[in-house]
Amino acid sequence: MSSIETLYITFFTTGFFVGFGHCIGMCGPIVVSFSLNLRAKGVMAPNLLYHAGRITTYAVLGGIMGASGAFTRITAGIGGLQKGVMIFAGLMIILMGLGMSGWVPLGRIFGNYYNSEGVIYRGFRKLSGIESTASYLPLGMLLGLLPCGPVYTALVAAARAGMEIQNSFKAVLVGMGLMAVFGIGTVPALLMVARLTGMGWLRSRGMIYKIGSVLMIAVGIYFVVKGIRF
Amino acid sequence: MLTSGVKKVIHQGRMAFLQGGGVSRMLFIGMFLLFMVTHGVPVQGAEGDPSALVNCDIQHTSCTQELSDTQVILDISPKPVKAMSDLKFRIILTGKQPVAPPYIDLGMPGMKMGPNRVPLKSVGNGVHEGTGIIVRCPSGKKVWKAMVTVPNMGTAEFIFDVIY
Repeated sequence: MSSIETLYITFFTTGFFVGFGHCIGMCGPIVVSFSLNLRAKGVMAPNLLYHAGRITTYAVLGGIMGASGAFTRITAGIGGLQKGVMIFAGLMIILMGLGMSGWVPLGRIFGNYYNSEGVIYRGFRKLSGIESTASYLPLGMLLGLLPCGPVYTALVAAARAGMEIQNSFKAVLVGMGLMAVFGIGTVPALLMVARLTGMGWLRSRGMIYKIGSVLMIAVGIYFVVKGIRF
Repeated sequence: MLTSGVKKVIHQGRMAFLQGGGVSRMLFIGMFLLFMVTHGVPVQGAEGDPSALVNCDIQHTSCTQELSDTQVILDISPKPVKAMSDLKFRIILTGKQPVAPPYIDLGMPGMKMGPNRVPLKSVGNGVHEGTGIIVRCPSGKKVWKAMVTVPNMGTAEFIFDVIY
């Protein structure tokens, strides 16, 4: 087995174990927020689209790292954008929590069933002009930029792998491939969280739903504060 | 390896989940989450306050630990040691020398960050150098550890604060 093949396996297993060991805690709240906003039987497709978007962003970043080998320069360049994405994610989770609670007439965003009278829903539809489920793909691409320790670590390794390859085009492909398999590795843990959250019996309990709304708002505030301080 | 007892519990839980009512399902999910927490998911801060584990003032000086008959000295430059910047790692080994160059694995206590290895090259007189990056964790935790592995001798763990 070549060293590159070994790297692919390493990146996948890293993603898999980091998924259960880190992503559930750090990115799980986002997946939970999405899933609570979806119909019980429609959780998987939007989540898969979200992850596809996230993996696409990882792959693009991996390609850039592989080609340039300049981790610090590139991450410094996108630092402001990442800060903005983190604040955006926090605000989105807060709005989803408020919308889900029913305490304010916001309607649901990023769901596959909506209160068509909702202010947020109408605004989002106008803004995006795309069907709700499909919106998870660009959303995943955007949130793939969220600052994340294990993603940074994988990017460092992708940059290092790229530096050892003389052919620039091959370095791009290797960087993309490594980050893509890393992202794929993180999917099972987050899908499991989505599946658990999406269970009908859980969602049918009003009290759990209300508690979920409050937790979402708290998590959203946490994201915003962390984003401002990042 | 799952024991037959664990398999039996999983089977019973599965049957309860499929056939039972809300309470059984909730118990099954509770058991599942408990299993994840105890077997796979290191909860953030599970090892307590990570700052209590700090054993190295890397921001101001180099740090030393004993490993078998060898002193392992770690230094990181430039100072202050900042995350998300190119850092030079230097290991000085005094006494018995290893059969192969040492290497450093960077991580955080109590939080899985993925493998981040700094390979080192010998520059003579027991000095080994390499470059690496300590990444930034959005959780805000700033305590990092460098596991210095010296082949055939063992691993020395340096835990220190990093500036974000």
